[in-house]
Amino acid sequence: MKILMLEFYKIKRRKIGLTMAAYLIAQFLWGLWALHDPTPQAQAQGFLSLLYYISVLDAVMVPPIMAVLASRLADIEHKGCMYKQLKTLRGSGSLFHAKAVCGLLIITVMFAAQYALFILLGYMVGYQGHPDAAHYILSYGLKLASNSVLFLLQLMLSMLIANQMVPLVTGLCGSLLALLLTLVRTYSFLPWGGNLSGTLVTMAWNDDTQNAVFSYRLYSPVELAAVGMIFMWLVIFYAAGRILFSHREN
Amino acid sequence: MHTHLMRTIKAERLKLKRSPVWLAFFALPVLSAFFGTNNYLANQGVLQNEWFSLWSQHSLFLCSFFMPALIGTFCSYLWRLEHLRTNWNSFLTTPVPLLCLYLGKLVQAAKMIVLGNGWIFFLYFLCGRLCGLDASFPPQALEWFLCGTLGGIVICCVQLALSMVIRSFAIPIGISLVGGIGGLLAGSQGLGLFYPYSLYSFGMRANNPQMEIDGKVFVLSCVFYVVLFCRLSVAGLQRHAR
Repeated sequence: MKILMLEFYKIKRRKIGLTMAAYLIAQFLWGLWALHDPTPQAQAQGFLSLLYYISVLDAVMVPPIMAVLASRLADIEHKGCMYKQLKTLRGSGSLFHAKAVCGLLIITVMFAAQYALFILLGYMVGYQGHPDAAHYILSYGLKLASNSVLFLLQLMLSMLIANQMVPLVTGLCGSLLALLLTLVRTYSFLPWGGNLSGTLVTMAWNDDTQNAVFSYRLYSPVELAAVGMIFMWLVIFYAAGRILFSHREN
Repeated sequence: MHTHLMRTIKAERLKLKRSPVWLAFFALPVLSAFFGTNNYLANQGVLQNEWFSLWSQHSLFLCSFFMPALIGTFCSYLWRLEHLRTNWNSFLTTPVPLLCLYLGKLVQAAKMIVLGNGWIFFLYFLCGRLCGLDASFPPQALEWFLCGTLGGIVICCVQLALSMVIRSFAIPIGISLVGGIGGLLAGSQGLGLFYPYSLYSFGMRANNPQMEIDGKVFVLSCVFYVVLFCRLSVAGLQRHAR
C-alpha cells in the first residue's frame, strides 16, 4: 500500500491523465458531430449502437494511449537512473506491482468516464429509451480487461527498455494491427484484438433500407475462447513483466 | 552561418547514428500498405478507379492518424538526448547560433519525412503492380509527394516545438495522436487547410486522390506554420539560454 501511495505521489501534478482526457474529449466531440442528426431507426437502436462504436474506436485508438500512459509511469525512474537504487530499497516485483495497480486504477477511472460521456451523448442526441445496464456493465468489464492487457504489455516494455521510443512505436504498430483485425473478423486471440472480442454488439448492413442494423452478439465457442484469451493475456503479461523486471540488470 | 548549420546537421546525424528509429518509418507503411492492398482487393466491386482507389486505401489511416504520431515519436527522439541529465547546458553552450541548433534538428526530421514518403510511394507503386494494375502510374503522385512532404514538415515544426518544451518523451506523442484525430474533424468541417495536423493528409490527398485543393492557400498555410513554429522554437531556446 505504501509503495502504491508513493507511485501516486510520483505522478502528482504531472498531469498524467492529460492525453487520455484529450482523447475522451475528442471522441465525445466526434460523437456529437457524427451522430447529432439520427434517423428514427438510429434513434431506436441508439444506445445499442454506442456499444459497438465505443469498441471499434477503442480497438484502433487505445493502444498508443496505453503506451503513453505506461511510458509516463515508467520514465521517471529511467530519467533519474533510479531503478537500481529502488531495487535496494524494496523488492523489484513489488515495484512493478505498484506501477501496474496505479495504472490500472487510472484506466478504470478513464473508461468509467468514457462510458458516462457516451451515455450522456446518447441522451444529448435524443436516443430512445435508456441504456441496458447489464450489457453496459458487462461491456465495461470486458473493455477494462482487454485494455489492461495492453497496458500491462506496454508497462512491461516501458520498464524493461530505457529508450521509450520502442514501446511507443509498438503501441502504434499495435494500433494498426488492430485496425487490420477489425476488417478481418470480429474476434482475435492477439492482445490487440481484445477490444474486438469483447464487443457485445454486431452490426449488419441492410442493403434494402440502406441502414445499419445492430444486435446483441451470439458468441460461438471460438469467440468465447477469444474472450477467455483476454484473461490469459492479463495473467501472462503481469507475470512476464514482474519476472523479467525482477531479473533485469539496471 | 552556412558552416554552423552544416556542423549542427552533422552533429544531429551523429546522434541518430545506429539508432533504430528508421525502423518505425519502415514498418508502419508496410503494415498500412498490406492492409490497404488487401482492402482494395476485397472490395474491387466498389473500388473501380484503379490507382486512385488503391491510393485511397493505402493512405486512409496512415496519413491522418499514424504518420502524425510517427513524426511525433521521431521529434521526441530528436530532443531526447537534450532532456537527459545536464545535456541542455552542453547543447546551449555550443558556439553556434540557436537558429542553427534548431535547424539541425528540423533538417533531420525533414529528411525522415522525405525518405518516409518515398518509401510510402514506392510501396504504393509496388502493390499496384502486384495487384495487376496495368495503367500507367498516376503523374499526380509527384504533386501528392511534394505537398505531403511540405505538410509533414509543418507537423515536424509543431512537434519539435512541443518536444523541446515538454521534457516527457510520451506527452508530445500523445498530443500528435490527438492532433491527428482532430485533423480528421477539421478536414470534415472544411478547415483542413488551416489546421497544422491535417495539412499532411490534405497534401497527400489521403482517401480522396481526386480532391482539388487550392495550391496557393495550401503553400501559404504551410509556410505560415513553419515560420511561426520555427520562431516560437528559437524564442523558446533563447529563453532556455537565459
